[in-house]
Amino acid sequence: MRAFDYAAAATVDDALKLARPGSAFLAGGTTLVDLMKLDVLTPDRVIDVNSLPLKGIRLHAGALRIGALERMSDVAAHPVVTAVHPMISRALLLSASWQLRNMASIGGNLLQRTRCDYFRDVTSACNKRRPGSGCPALTGVNRGHAILGTSDSCVATHASDVAVAFVALEAQVVVRGKDGDRTIPLDDFYRLPGSTPERENALAPGELVAEVVVPTLPWARHSTYLKIRDRQSYEFALTSVAAAVDLKRGVVQDVRLAAGGVGTKPWRLRAVEEALKGGVAMERTFADAAESAVDGARPLAHNAFKTSLLKRSIVRALLDAAGVR
Amino acid sequence: MTTSRRQFFGRAAAVSAGVALTSPLEEAVAAPENDSGVVEVAFKVNGERRKLGVDPRVTLLDALRERLQLTGTKKGCDRGQCGACTVHVDDRRVLSCLTLAVTVQGKEVTTIEGIADGGELHSVQRAFIENDGFQCGFCTSGQIMSAVKVVEEREVRTDDQIREAMSGNICRCGAYPNILAAIKQVKES
Amino acid sequence: MIGQPVDRVDGRIKVTGAAPYAADTKVPGVAYGYLVTSTIGKGSVTAMDTAAALASPGVLAVYTPFNPLKLFAYVQEQNDERFPPLQDNEVRFFGQAIGFVVAETWEQARDAAGLVTATYQQQPPATEFPGRTARRFDEVEEVVGTQALGDITFTATYTTPFQHHCAMEPHATVATWNGDHLTVYTVSQGALLVQRRLSETLGIDAAKIHVLSPHVGGGFGGKWGNWAQVPLACAASKALGRPIKAVLTREQVFAMAGHRPTTEQTLTMTCTADGKLTSIVNDGVTSRGLGGNWSESVANWTLTTYASPNIRVTKKIVPLNLGAATVMRAPGEANGSFALESAMDELAEQLGVDPVELRLRNYATLVPNTGKPWSSKHLDECYRIGAEEFGWAERPKGVRATVDGDWLVGTGMATATYGAGRGQASVKVRLHPDGTASVSGTAADLGTGQYTVFAILVADELGIPVSSVRPELGDSTSPAAANAGGSTSTGTNGPAVQVAAKAVQTELITLAVSNPRSPFHGKDPATVVDRDGSISSGGVTMSFGTLLTTCDVGGVEAVGTSPRLVDPEHGYRSFGAHFCEVRVHRLTGEPRVTRWRSVCDAGTIVNAKAARSQIQGAVVMGIGQTLLEATEVDHATGRFANANLASYLVPVHSDIPKIDVRFLNHPDPLVSGLGAKGIGELGIVGVAGAIANAVHHATGVRVRDLPITLDKLL
Repeated sequence: MRAFDYAAAATVDDALKLARPGSAFLAGGTTLVDLMKLDVLTPDRVIDVNSLPLKGIRLHAGALRIGALERMSDVAAHPVVTAVHPMISRALLLSASWQLRNMASIGGNLLQRTRCDYFRDVTSACNKRRPGSGCPALTGVNRGHAILGTSDSCVATHASDVAVAFVALEAQVVVRGKDGDRTIPLDDFYRLPGSTPERENALAPGELVAEVVVPTLPWARHSTYLKIRDRQSYEFALTSVAAAVDLKRGVVQDVRLAAGGVGTKPWRLRAVEEALKGGVAMERTFADAAESAVDGARPLAHNAFKTSLLKRSIVRALLDAAGVR
Repeated sequence: MTTSRRQFFGRAAAVSAGVALTSPLEEAVAAPENDSGVVEVAFKVNGERRKLGVDPRVTLLDALRERLQLTGTKKGCDRGQCGACTVHVDDRRVLSCLTLAVTVQGKEVTTIEGIADGGELHSVQRAFIENDGFQCGFCTSGQIMSAVKVVEEREVRTDDQIREAMSGNICRCGAYPNILAAIKQVKES
Repeated sequence: MIGQPVDRVDGRIKVTGAAPYAADTKVPGVAYGYLVTSTIGKGSVTAMDTAAALASPGVLAVYTPFNPLKLFAYVQEQNDERFPPLQDNEVRFFGQAIGFVVAETWEQARDAAGLVTATYQQQPPATEFPGRTARRFDEVEEVVGTQALGDITFTATYTTPFQHHCAMEPHATVATWNGDHLTVYTVSQGALLVQRRLSETLGIDAAKIHVLSPHVGGGFGGKWGNWAQVPLACAASKALGRPIKAVLTREQVFAMAGHRPTTEQTLTMTCTADGKLTSIVNDGVTSRGLGGNWSESVANWTLTTYASPNIRVTKKIVPLNLGAATVMRAPGEANGSFALESAMDELAEQLGVDPVELRLRNYATLVPNTGKPWSSKHLDECYRIGAEEFGWAERPKGVRATVDGDWLVGTGMATATYGAGRGQASVKVRLHPDGTASVSGTAADLGTGQYTVFAILVADELGIPVSSVRPELGDSTSPAAANAGGSTSTGTNGPAVQVAAKAVQTELITLAVSNPRSPFHGKDPATVVDRDGSISSGGVTMSFGTLLTTCDVGGVEAVGTSPRLVDPEHGYRSFGAHFCEVRVHRLTGEPRVTRWRSVCDAGTIVNAKAARSQIQGAVVMGIGQTLLEATEVDHATGRFANANLASYLVPVHSDIPKIDVRFLNHPDPLVSGLGAKGIGELGIVGVAGAIANAVHHATGVRVRDLPITLDKLL
């Protein structure tokens, strides 16, 4: 960890004023402090934003609004969240551990960094950490890496679970900067790595995530968040699927699907959604539709199984969300 | 707004934003920081008011262990990956290794040294002994600090729910079945 | 009292956080040491720039191969590093210690270490293991045997990955000097192992080195050796005149503090049509890390498990640019049993014979490779009771026969055996005027329950409550008892404790009849009885505490020594059988263990409670070994790519079902008067086989490469 100045901001304006090149905002610390210890992040100023009023969970104007500083555990347990979007609660409860969920903020969760072990090791090359230095994961140990949205520069998986649920539910993020607020669909907020994997999202320097806005969608109560991993708990996803299904007399009217653990960003499965609409909710239908999930997938030496696992995970999640056997 | 007393210094560093900040290591290496300024932090530990002047780099875990001599809280990984350092901050279980000491200003911290009532062990501590809920004992402080909260959590009822709620505390000796038994014993009493 | 369930005597200090582990040592004026490690896998360090680190706040010293602390060559083989750190420029593996930064605070030392840069002459590291890529053997060793063929042949190859101990406590050492006397608080599986190593590398008399290791946060073999932080902390402390604390980071523990080697076994078995084995050949290959000397005799378990007129095992060693491979819980047996127990299941299927029945048909009533009788063996009873209590009889014969919802359900079983014996040990028992007894030896309690074993055996011998006994372990000044390794602690130290406790009673009687203040003064010792903590004679009874107080004697003590067992006529092993149920999701393939029963024949069990826990814990580690754990090497650099507890997966609470353990508790009549064999490692042997067999039963898929992860079952 490099030495840094610590500043606790009392207001959003204070926080924005303190921000400058080389500074970092500190919320739960579960990403920042971890990566500072590894020298992966070396801010010279850390601005503690925990006292900012970016809190509250409420239903307003047809949307669930979650303050960026709400903790994962509080969001997961909140009665409005469990009533309106149980998928969000489920995704959160399958994340990390109870202790980490008590610490980590929703805003920080969306900004958490990849778990790629080359990114996390400063002795390794990494285009995300040190642009232009190369990507050893392409030919190295890559069982956990992405198969979708990858580039020759980066194959790192996006690590968040709840972001997958948010993308399925077409959530938006409100970001606040010196020039005011911007509202960005979460799916657009995240960038594909391309040739600039160091730029992960649409945040401009000095901007803060202020709020997450999730439109209500009554039929999305019939939903699930499925997370597949080697260990039963306390592990990032090999694959995950956020699924919500609107059924009428056994026929799919509408559906939302997004996947985690397979993409360089939370991966909305629009082609699968389209293939499902109008189909009879049964395993065969789901399996046929799931085929298109891996269109364009670029498997690596150790993660080719994810193409099959993703399709199977989609089927399993749909069976669960649709309540069919 | 409060800031550390150390003078800010200028250094060009690549930045995106938020916690998603990138800064090339070489640059940091080329500009070694010599002044590690001290920040005052006051908080309660096990009911007692403590005041420390700490380098902002110091985690709550290292403050407890190396500055306050409260070594019951253990460092198993220092990365938030094992749960051995679990303590309560304002009555919530958190990982002290990922908590900067400066951020607990004004808060109440409870460690394994603070849950017994004088000489009288906490019911969870007693249950861990009776059910042999540990072997080497190194993860035990963290297990117990988690278990104390799991016992209080009303929605955690079944064996599988307890197992899941305790999955952030790794025990390499494999005392899990006995930890489960200990927690059930306290929950049922 | 022996064999009852007794709460751990160190329970209270462990649940209150009061038990002092090495890194908890509070020494005034302590400075902090932090290792700098190599960032290449092979080559040499040509230069190091330490200027920035030296200029960093609080830094006291930076040691490198260009500015080393003098350490003499290592002499004894201790399954750890071949060379003391910083004494040469060669880089043998990624993560090797090439520097040591000492500073006033831990943060200052850590962050200054990050400022040290090294220049290397780099060579490509050798990290590829046969079975995965090209074959290349630098050393070959053959063991035992002949070979013959029978009617039916089965052959298959089984592979296992690198694995790590991952004891929850990282390696820590605190060193402090008083003149030329060194006191070291450190992690260790035996205080004398540290003392000897330090004596040779520091070049000082062992009598001037006091090693304290009273509580150890898990070992599993990884704390048998002494790794780089031990000599560096001691030598730097001497050089700087400051106490020094050095703790490895979790990443450093992975890189330099030992690992279970990767292995390959090709098993060829022949048998008669009715399933009697006529030959077993196991060609084993093991890696050896060039940081160390040790390699695993992976095929040797095949020599002693099943009856066969012909058994041959071989061992080939592949040296790799990695840190030392070292002993890890059941070294050889854990991997060896995966192959043979899987193969027996495969052969049973091929023959259409029940797996338990096949094992009984090949039951080794004599030691297979020597033809000698066993000291005792009740493995058949383990099979029978295990099968009965598990409900093995209801097991469907075919694979993929049981489905519960979306889960494919299968069951499997395997044999466990692990070597037993008795080494030499000395232990001291002292009786105190307050009515308590203390018992001491250099033994270690890594969580094994050794403290409680000592207390139980003294309490049993003296007839006093366990709570009146104070065991003191992990101190090099105590009599030399067994180190914690090879499942020998209780089998070796237990008899010594009994001898010492008997001897101290003799001393007490001598005092009683010879001390003029004693009410028994002048009596014939033969008429004096020592029972239930009291001396009695001629109608007078007095507790030993009162007697000592009456006589104004500060205590009586005796050292008891139990000699090494030398018995070339018998084979000694502990035995067991595992039965388990596994569920595999029909779509996504994740395997989960859902039911477990182990039955163990390990001689006398001293503490039923801790013994059961130890078997449970070994099964948990075995579940990790089988389903989760693999350390992956980045071949370009030689770095363990997943050297952390988020990427190297050990089991968490949710991975573990109820684990039923039963001990037969038949004392072994030959191993010692106590009759105890070992249990520390027995529990993990066979676990991988049992699970692999259950996975096959559930899915029809035979996985011969650990870990059995879902990608192998899709």
